[in-house]
Amino acid sequence: MSKTYFDETHCAIGHPKSKFMQWMLTVDHKRIGIMYAAVMFFYFFIAVATAFMMRLELFAPGGQFMDGDTFNQAFTLHGVIMIFLFIVPGIPAIFGNIVMPLMIGAKDVSFPRLNWFTFWLYVVGTVVAMSSLFTDAGFADTGWTFYAPYSINTSTNVIFTLVAAFILGMASILTGLNFLVTIHRLRAPGMDFWKMPLFVWGIYATAWIQLLATPVVGITLILAIMEKYFGIGIFDPAKGGDPVLFEHLFWIYSHPAVYLMILPAFGIMSEIIPVFSRREIFGYRAIAISSASIAGIGYLVWGHHLYTSGMADTAKVIFSFLTFFVAIPTGIKFYDWIATMYKGKVILSTPMLWALGTIITFTIGGLTGVTIAMIGVDIHLQDTYYTVAHFHYAMLGGVVFLLFAGMHYWFPLVTGKMYDEKHGKISFYIQFVGFNLLWFPMFIAGYYGMPRRYFDYLPEFQIYHQLSFFGAVIFISGLVYMFVVFYKGWTKGKPAGTNPWNATTLEWHLPSSPPPLENHSKVPYVDFNPYEYHHGHPVVKFNYETMQRID
Amino acid sequence: MSGPYVPEIATDRDGNQHEVQGWQDDFYGGKLGFWLFMFTEVLMFGAMFMALAYYNTLHPQDFLDASASLNRLLGGVNTVVLLISALTMGLGLLNMRVGKVKEAKLMIWATIILAAAFLVIKGFEWRAEYNHGIFLMHDQMLPGSSLPFGQKLFFGLYFTMTGLHGFHIIIGIGLMIWLLKRINAEKVRPDHHILHWNIALYWDIVHLIWVFVFPYYYMIGAGGVTGGH
Amino acid sequence: MDTNTIDYAKERSGYYKILVGLLLLTAVTFIQPHMFMTESTFMAQMLIAVVKGWLILMFYMHLKGETLIIWMTGFSLFIVFTFFAIVIGVDVQKFQFQDESHITSSATPIAEVGKESAPSAHSAQ
Repeated sequence: MSKTYFDETHCAIGHPKSKFMQWMLTVDHKRIGIMYAAVMFFYFFIAVATAFMMRLELFAPGGQFMDGDTFNQAFTLHGVIMIFLFIVPGIPAIFGNIVMPLMIGAKDVSFPRLNWFTFWLYVVGTVVAMSSLFTDAGFADTGWTFYAPYSINTSTNVIFTLVAAFILGMASILTGLNFLVTIHRLRAPGMDFWKMPLFVWGIYATAWIQLLATPVVGITLILAIMEKYFGIGIFDPAKGGDPVLFEHLFWIYSHPAVYLMILPAFGIMSEIIPVFSRREIFGYRAIAISSASIAGIGYLVWGHHLYTSGMADTAKVIFSFLTFFVAIPTGIKFYDWIATMYKGKVILSTPMLWALGTIITFTIGGLTGVTIAMIGVDIHLQDTYYTVAHFHYAMLGGVVFLLFAGMHYWFPLVTGKMYDEKHGKISFYIQFVGFNLLWFPMFIAGYYGMPRRYFDYLPEFQIYHQLSFFGAVIFISGLVYMFVVFYKGWTKGKPAGTNPWNATTLEWHLPSSPPPLENHSKVPYVDFNPYEYHHGHPVVKFNYETMQRID
Repeated sequence: MSGPYVPEIATDRDGNQHEVQGWQDDFYGGKLGFWLFMFTEVLMFGAMFMALAYYNTLHPQDFLDASASLNRLLGGVNTVVLLISALTMGLGLLNMRVGKVKEAKLMIWATIILAAAFLVIKGFEWRAEYNHGIFLMHDQMLPGSSLPFGQKLFFGLYFTMTGLHGFHIIIGIGLMIWLLKRINAEKVRPDHHILHWNIALYWDIVHLIWVFVFPYYYMIGAGGVTGGH
Repeated sequence: MDTNTIDYAKERSGYYKILVGLLLLTAVTFIQPHMFMTESTFMAQMLIAVVKGWLILMFYMHLKGETLIIWMTGFSLFIVFTFFAIVIGVDVQKFQFQDESHITSSATPIAEVGKESAPSAHSAQ
């Protein structure tokens, strides 16, 4: 095969000699994924620190060391980072980039240079978002939802955050676009849609949401900026504008966005469960279709955020009804995973522990979501700690837990080394206990009427806040512990070999570990299902030089 | 570029050979990617049309009155200008595909001129509205004026949407100039014209958006009331 | 790439035919308010726009024969229509606060209302 421009440098511009510039300009999907992870976890820890500050403030009633305005900015900072910088791009940008092309046997994504550009667009977005921290007017205090008309009136620097969210949205759209074309065009010969690993299905459904929902929030933010600086009137009641329209437009994106977060996470779950049960996944097609239908129904349920906003009663009923429907495909997935484990040879490695822990936490998060999808109950619980706890059980206990599961699962693939299993398990247990202690009391506090986003509270809520605080301490120590385990694994870990977990999908059939540039030595022909096990052993074996099947 | 891209061959267990689609030289992939991008444009303008329909439902009469006061003559001329520019763009692409590079470049120049004409006419229109006291953050559009809510919202969205559409036209002109440079550098050739193809698609979507913007703003109030300013 | 398979004269006349069609439809937009469906100019105009859009999509944008992209386009449009159906058709149509809401009280002189109750975003300007 003749050498192309891409073969020689794997860089977007020129042929840099220095290692640093080779990373900065790389178009290699694996390197881009790793750089995404680095940037994201940098911001993740800032947001965790902000959240911890808020927990400290809430340790006792009354103001401790933060006034109300600072607290408003703190929860906005936490929300903006966690949503726009971390969890929305999260799994697709990290593992969608690193693993998805490997899983379908492609050499790279369809538009490698666009991928590089997208990464830097994302970085610019993060910088713009953070830059208002250092201006006089200060960071936005609107909450991450930027509800009009307050976001139009506030004197803080909300413009930076709006522009940043727009840029990050662009990056998200381009990522989705790239993945959609990649999945349609670059699957290895023989691999039809029903032979794709389920993580790829998750990424595919996600990419559609990224592509078709993000533009709506993009234009909403532009309209908000136009409103703020040019007074077009559509969100400003003084000119007849209706703030409910803003909420409609905002949630048309932002509700599908939570499915955008959870679907690739479910994909990771679908990878881990069969591998550590040594059994073919139960109901492959049901899981694949449920991913697609969660994405589809997810478009139609945004209105449950508007129950108390003055929407028409008919619309409320329809939205409530549709919202219940999302629980059905989600339930199908959970039963399929449990059925996969039944009579399987379950191996409790760290990735599997995280997956099993998520089944518990996400079930709590999901079912509490069904309760507040009911209009009557929601009138009572809207904007209380109950909603906060539900959201964090679903997002932290669902998406982030599975992100951690994926990090353990693909750690040997990315680094070529193995972390310490024993310490990995300990860090899981610490975080699992800390997580539940942190968030479960909030369900009770919220049920008794503790409102969210307040920096002060009545004395009777003190016990819940203090329990939460101790949970936060435990959780964060577990988090730090886990990253220490990763760091030690990366620097001092034993070489892992190409397929340490006895997994079946194509990303474990590479000639070396970590994978070489341009991935598989030859593109394989795929005539097998993704999770074929026979008596607890993978069926498909390859000669890693020629990528011919040798079983 | 050092040498043309040669696709890899994958062999299955029976020894049959299958050509592997690489990301390189993927005409259909490039086209598909650009279509996906255009969907985001549709969603963006769709959301703005939704805002428009939202207030139209709340203030139907104000919208008719405001629409009647727009200049239908200039709007109509612009519609035709854009229509012909879509033709020149299409013919340019056709010429490129059959290898008539020089004619293709001429057609792109014609499109650029028509696009500029569109912007100039739009500018005259906006100026006339400004002189009537209707412009963003100006006179009638301020919160204190006596213009009814519905009309204010209509014009607010009118300037936003036609402005954003005009912004797309400006980007389109930039893209076409870039395309001409690429053709001159022989990076876009009859056997490698994906960029030309996609820019033609872009121009069509800009036209397509105008096809809906025009009647919603200029024509809904045309019944019963004749003439513009 | 597809250079050999193009019938230049045929495709070019195709472009002109569509142009004539689009120009005719544009003319129809102008006479429609005085000719037909005068009770619902809005619907008539949108119908014409849909026909024009379909012509552009199918012929100028070469969508004819592209099964996959047609399905994707259909899906995107379907989503937009669903948003419209819910927000416009269900919510705003049944706006429950017509009489009491400030934003629908356009009969009142705006200037007074603006001073009294409406939160103004632009008081500084």
